[in-house]
Amino acid sequence: MDSFYYVNIFETKGLEYLLLMIFLVLLILLVRYISPPTEKKKRF
Amino acid sequence: MDRRDFLKTTAAVGATALTGKKLFAKEPLKPEEFVGVLVDTTRCIGCRECEMACGEAHDLLVPDVQNDNALEQVRTTSDEQWMVINRFETDKGDVFVKKQCMHCMQPACAAACPTEAMKKTKEGPVIWRGDKCMGCRFCMVSCPFDIPKFEYDEWNPKIEKCTLCFDRLQDGERPACVEACPTDALIFGTRTKLIEDARKRIYNNPDDYVHHIYGEHEAGGTGYLYLSAVPFEQIGFRTDLGTTPYPEYTKEFLYSVPLVLFGLPALLFGFSHLTDKETDDSE
Amino acid sequence: MNNEVTVRDESKRFIKFIIQEMKPRGKWLTPFNIISIPIILLGLVILYFRFVYGLGSVTNLSQEFPWGFWIGFDVVTGVAFAGGAYVITFVVYIMRVDKYHSIVRVTVLNGLLAYMFYAGALVLDLGRPWHIINPIIGNSFGLSSVLFLVAWHFLIYMTAEFVEFSPVIAEWLNWKKTEKFVKSLTLGAVILGISLSTLHQSGLGALFLMAKPKIHPLWYSEFIPILFFVSSIYAGLSMIIFEGTISHRVFKDLIDPKSHHSFDDIMLGLGKGAAITMFVYYFFKALIFIHGQHWTLITDGWGLWYLTEVIGFVLIPGFMYAFGVRNRSLSIIRIAAILSLIGIMLNRLNTSIIAYNWNAVVHYIPSWQEFVVTLMVIFAEIWVFRWIVTRMPVFKSSH
Repeated sequence: MDSFYYVNIFETKGLEYLLLMIFLVLLILLVRYISPPTEKKKRF
Repeated sequence: MDRRDFLKTTAAVGATALTGKKLFAKEPLKPEEFVGVLVDTTRCIGCRECEMACGEAHDLLVPDVQNDNALEQVRTTSDEQWMVINRFETDKGDVFVKKQCMHCMQPACAAACPTEAMKKTKEGPVIWRGDKCMGCRFCMVSCPFDIPKFEYDEWNPKIEKCTLCFDRLQDGERPACVEACPTDALIFGTRTKLIEDARKRIYNNPDDYVHHIYGEHEAGGTGYLYLSAVPFEQIGFRTDLGTTPYPEYTKEFLYSVPLVLFGLPALLFGFSHLTDKETDDSE
Repeated sequence: MNNEVTVRDESKRFIKFIIQEMKPRGKWLTPFNIISIPIILLGLVILYFRFVYGLGSVTNLSQEFPWGFWIGFDVVTGVAFAGGAYVITFVVYIMRVDKYHSIVRVTVLNGLLAYMFYAGALVLDLGRPWHIINPIIGNSFGLSSVLFLVAWHFLIYMTAEFVEFSPVIAEWLNWKKTEKFVKSLTLGAVILGISLSTLHQSGLGALFLMAKPKIHPLWYSEFIPILFFVSSIYAGLSMIIFEGTISHRVFKDLIDPKSHHSFDDIMLGLGKGAAITMFVYYFFKALIFIHGQHWTLITDGWGLWYLTEVIGFVLIPGFMYAFGVRNRSLSIIRIAAILSLIGIMLNRLNTSIIAYNWNAVVHYIPSWQEFVVTLMVIFAEIWVFRWIVTRMPVFKSSH
């Protein structure tokens, strides 16, 4: 019943970091999207 | 030595230090050994003498075992019965399994209880104290074995669950169910002895048992231990409960409470000071 | 002697004033009264049965489902909805954004009443409520219990909220000195209130940490406390928008004309906050989904239900908020607020009831009595809210 085998508890870490990068890019887009457009013109 | 004992000792040491008495005169702490019950399901014949004995000992329902056909379905404990025997049809024939509170070494119910009504005694039994309980049923939510039962039809409801006959133990007696068992399927003793005994049985009869003692590690270890000839999931046991003691799941959160209350108020005060236009420190 | 006379006169005047204020005002036969009075009366009858014949006589609670609608909705969801108070006090008193000053009083009042009524509904659910003093007066402190912590936080938080609201009461009573004193306590109460809120909002989630084998893996996570906390932020913001929209119409005459002016701006600002919080929350959910390797679980009905909650009632209203803010559309923001609130309700009910013991043979469905009592609690809260806002200077800016 008790058997021993290797379990990688960090199996999804790569995917998680990928998700993080997607999140950061999308967050910038979201913040730019909801910020008043006048401010944007000033910056560029 | 569990944490509560540790705290107690620390408090005791602190108290002696304060009163200026001899500091190290006390004897070293004897770790209390939990007692429990070993259930050897290969020996149980399903006579349900234990069910009747339990009902009599605790003023609960005494089942009419000859006529009630209760084995026809898988039952669970109730507010009228602290323990039940269930029958499972397996490839090794009928197997009878006793179900009651497991008396976890680190019980979730006791950790969950906001009033310490549910209490792990130092002897091992987990008991319920009606003068403290406020009936929030958080113990029922937390128990991985779904054991505490509530009297929904009472104005002054009680939580009903096996106490391992805590009052009988204090009189030097064995639990009623163990006393009643005609086949020695139930063995009462300290947990260490029971585990040794169980291991010995598996070692001496490797073909008669699956090589696992249910309760040795489940939910952090339980006072009730089970031996079986068939895999435990076939006889009504949950094998997905893990080996982590359940209170540990809330440990990080409870730890973070003082942490947050140390840091956050100061941080918030700092913020409010920074954003205050009227108090300019640079002047 | 002279002093004594003035004190007596003063107290006479005070009692007269209170009696005058207690009297009902306005029309009696409003649609709200016609609906709420019978329900409150019916609720009281149900509560009589509940306390005389036990919880089983009016609820569908069972040994498998010890917590039902009264905990899952009244307490767990209700407290999340009340999160607006700590968010707004943070923005106004800590970040000092003056724009939201005009809604501080009404939001704090809403928070205070929500805790008193919804967290108070916990008492209705207790089997032995007279023992509730045990964990409070100290003859049995269950220090290891999350519920102990949450209960204490409720109590202290309600006190902090009361202190935050007390200047309004002092102003109403025309107690100048008291008003000045309690106003000086506001920042302290705010800081305490926010700190406690972070912990008991997450603590409500932590209640379910030990129910690991019972909750469907799509809803169970070791991060439930963090999820509950983050979602309480946008739950609170959405509730302010929802509730603000209603009281803006119902209590139009009471609102300062000055604050009328910036009402749209306030709503847009709140919507912006909600959009970003929901976006973050959605990614928290995604992270947990990936970390738990849950993709095998979304193929069945439970998976669909999970996606409905997370996409239909988090991601979509989140985008609606963003869209509403960009296009300055209050009506879209209002719809987003309602969807978000439904999403919070789904999430809390899923965790506490629906996905709890999800593979049970007989699943718990609340009885009609449980719904009536819940409605009674909500209506009673609205009655008290209405009484207070029509008498005290709640809609006035607190400067």
